[in-house]
Amino acid sequence: MDSIWYKILGAVVSFIVAFIVGMTYMGLSRKITARVQNRKGPPFYQNFIDAMKLYSKSTAIHHGVMQHFGPAFIMVSSVMTLMIVPVLNDGRWFPNLNFQGDLIFLLYIMVFGPLGMALGAGQTGNPNSAIGVTRGLSQMVGFEIPWVMALVALMVQFRTTSIVDLMDVQAQSGTWLMFTSPFAFIAAILAMLGMFRYSPFDIVGAPTELASGPMSENGGKYLFTMMSSGSVFAFAKLTLYVDLFMGGADNLIVLVLKTFAIYLIPMLYGVVSPRYRTEQAIRYFWGWPTFFGLMAILYAVFF
Amino acid sequence: MDIIYLIFLIFLAGAIISWLAGKVNHVLQDILFLASVIVPSVLFYMNVSVGQEVHFQAAGIDLSWGITAFGWIFSLIVLGLGSLAAIYSVGFMKGKERRGYFYFNYVLSIMAMLGILFSRDLVSFFIFWEIMTWSSYLMVIYNGQHTQSIGIKYFIFSAIGAYAMLTAIVVAHSVTGNFMIADLITAYPVLSFNLQLLIPILLLVGFGVKAALMPLHVWAPGAYSNSPMAYTSVFSGALSKMGVYGLTIVMLSMISHLPEGFWFREVLAWMGAITAAVGTLWAIKQDDAKKLLAYSSVAQLGYIVTGIAVGTELSILAGLFLAVMHAIFKSTLFMAVGAIERQTGTTNFTEVTGLIRKMPWTFLASLMSIIALAGIPPLGGFVGKWMLYESLITSDHFIMIVMVFFSSTAAFLYCYKFLFGFFLGQEEREWAHVKEAPAIMVVPMVILAGLSFVLGTFPGILLKPIDAGMQALGFASTYQHLWDTSIILNGWGNQVVLQPILYAILGIFVIFVVFLTLKGYKNTRYVTTKDISSSGEVPKEHENLTFSVNFFQPFMRAVEPAMRRQIDRYYNGFANGLEALFDFTRKIYTGNGQTYAIYVILFLIIMLLIKNNIFG
Repeated sequence: MDSIWYKILGAVVSFIVAFIVGMTYMGLSRKITARVQNRKGPPFYQNFIDAMKLYSKSTAIHHGVMQHFGPAFIMVSSVMTLMIVPVLNDGRWFPNLNFQGDLIFLLYIMVFGPLGMALGAGQTGNPNSAIGVTRGLSQMVGFEIPWVMALVALMVQFRTTSIVDLMDVQAQSGTWLMFTSPFAFIAAILAMLGMFRYSPFDIVGAPTELASGPMSENGGKYLFTMMSSGSVFAFAKLTLYVDLFMGGADNLIVLVLKTFAIYLIPMLYGVVSPRYRTEQAIRYFWGWPTFFGLMAILYAVFF
Repeated sequence: MDIIYLIFLIFLAGAIISWLAGKVNHVLQDILFLASVIVPSVLFYMNVSVGQEVHFQAAGIDLSWGITAFGWIFSLIVLGLGSLAAIYSVGFMKGKERRGYFYFNYVLSIMAMLGILFSRDLVSFFIFWEIMTWSSYLMVIYNGQHTQSIGIKYFIFSAIGAYAMLTAIVVAHSVTGNFMIADLITAYPVLSFNLQLLIPILLLVGFGVKAALMPLHVWAPGAYSNSPMAYTSVFSGALSKMGVYGLTIVMLSMISHLPEGFWFREVLAWMGAITAAVGTLWAIKQDDAKKLLAYSSVAQLGYIVTGIAVGTELSILAGLFLAVMHAIFKSTLFMAVGAIERQTGTTNFTEVTGLIRKMPWTFLASLMSIIALAGIPPLGGFVGKWMLYESLITSDHFIMIVMVFFSSTAAFLYCYKFLFGFFLGQEEREWAHVKEAPAIMVVPMVILAGLSFVLGTFPGILLKPIDAGMQALGFASTYQHLWDTSIILNGWGNQVVLQPILYAILGIFVIFVVFLTLKGYKNTRYVTTKDISSSGEVPKEHENLTFSVNFFQPFMRAVEPAMRRQIDRYYNGFANGLEALFDFTRKIYTGNGQTYAIYVILFLIIMLLIKNNIFG
């Protein structure tokens, strides 16, 4: 069971599941957004069609090595996050790298991709890309604070930095962590609004303003890789939230339901929100979310 | 003659000879300079073992030199980095003026730093410390610019540190009767409480100045950016670590005996964390790469101080690991800036852009170092950062970890600014002529960058000597309890296994690079950065699309309130106050003979009045 092929199989299967689920969610989000705006909207599988179209397109130009590697960098981050996050409870899924890294490692590997992609976007020379990147990094500094506070609260409360241990805690007590440490959950959810970059925090891509920001100048396979990376990453992040706060999942169907419930929060919040300016977004995260993060830490220390 | 004397003799003679040799032949001078740094380094690692000591007397004072296991860690920084930076310096100084001056001070600095590590008594420690300060001061004013503003500032702060240290040494002598460091440490626990507090505080001021700890850091940005870059890599990489070296010894062998040591450590750790956060914010603001890296050095030293001040096994391990890592990646970055300065003549992000295709090796070295600096796996910086966070969590510093994490995340901003500002973005015709720096400059950079890669997966290589050094300072071995060759653990038993992670990252990266390249890269053609879609139009050649001014403006707007206060202003206010005081004294000392005559007469009258009991 420990052979290298088994591990590779695990990675590939996890990747495919994440890809399909993530893509479907994005398609559904387009549909839901359309219904809210009283449009018909594309079918939920539209994203698969788009991805296939992008994949089959051939690219004519490139702007240099970093731009070429950029999508690979972001893919490393997404797939590594997926490898670290346990998909199902009690090791019912491939172990991947669940036991090789902990939450702090996860925090850092999650920023590997944006930085790599930022380098790729930088080499294209498109000023919109660079502006998008600076906005994205600034926003990241914003939402990482409440996010880290929430995680620190969990780590302190249960004296572990491992995701698997935190899942075991929930399995043993039978209570989800969103009830045992409510402030941490609130802070994490508010941080998540920035993480998923829906309105009002869509300042990175900023349609009609930055012309899709860092993604511009990428087409064909590059865009396909970025798109799939985005869906894998979304799935990995949602699974992480479910693992940490909603007791994980026993099978894939429960997992899909739980992750979709979490996914609805930033999406529905985004549908009805206009866009923030960058400094407003940063200050937003340093306001109430940080307050709840602080409450979470105090709660974890004193209760 | 003992080999230890020989090492210092070669340094000293080499410094003088490589200065004088410039009058004969430049190539000879370069070779002599390299020899006077590398030969003693080789002799040191071949012949000097830990614990070996020499004793002698000078002016009736017992002096003693020898290396401890703890000093040995720092010798890696001093001699390893010193040698590589020396090779780089030869390329950097080629064709520049006053090479003799540079080489002389360079060799003296290396000697002084090694001397500090060797000193087992406070007198030689202080002498070497002063040699280090002087030689670095002369380097700061090497280019003859800003000697007033930057040179004097560095000098004043060094002097404050030196006087504080000298006072501590004199006090220590009055207590123990000799100058031996070991005697001071053994005598420390039985001292009176006042002395127990006074000696470490005075020493910490001395070390804090060199480690650029807030609020003693104000000299650093100017001094780092004003010295020649080949030296700044040593200045920021190794010289500042001497402050860390002293700080660690004081914290571990003195403060840990204090019953109130906890509060002492907390205050210092918070100072470190605040240094990290504020240093990072100021680094983001800079438009000059030298200044950016200088502030970033201040910030990084903040992490190191925090790690050492917290004082658990893991945090000290983290602090020392970060100290070595910082020496590696920050010196590489300063070298890269030096290479760019040499090839383009400027280090300002708003002036030079798009060098990636012209200076690919410099870019590669910078990229690796930046990733290490940002603490992203699988490079070495991550190991240090991870250990620091875990140590803060396991030792209940919850708010501090958020602070450290904030500065560490905000560091991505200036990391990106550095890479984007120099290497990415629009390629402009103005810089079309730029070539890669000569191999003698590029090779040391790439070696150092490769080192941070190796240490990211096999930190055990470095943690082994650090562990030995910590054992010399009285800790139990942490091997397999907190680290293994490529595993790092925290106190709670959670771990990061680095080897599979590296393979996974490389595997995923290679797969997707192949995926993108197949049917991709080969069939595509390279287009310039002007061939982009901007609102559906292809921009004309003359259109300026460079984005580098006010790079992080929105972020700076968000953190603006935090940056309104500047400790430098208070110092300047203090200096202005002093100046006003001096101006006032000048009103008394007018320089006019008649005024002085009146003073004399008035004085005599008062004397006479007093004598005659006029006042009762």
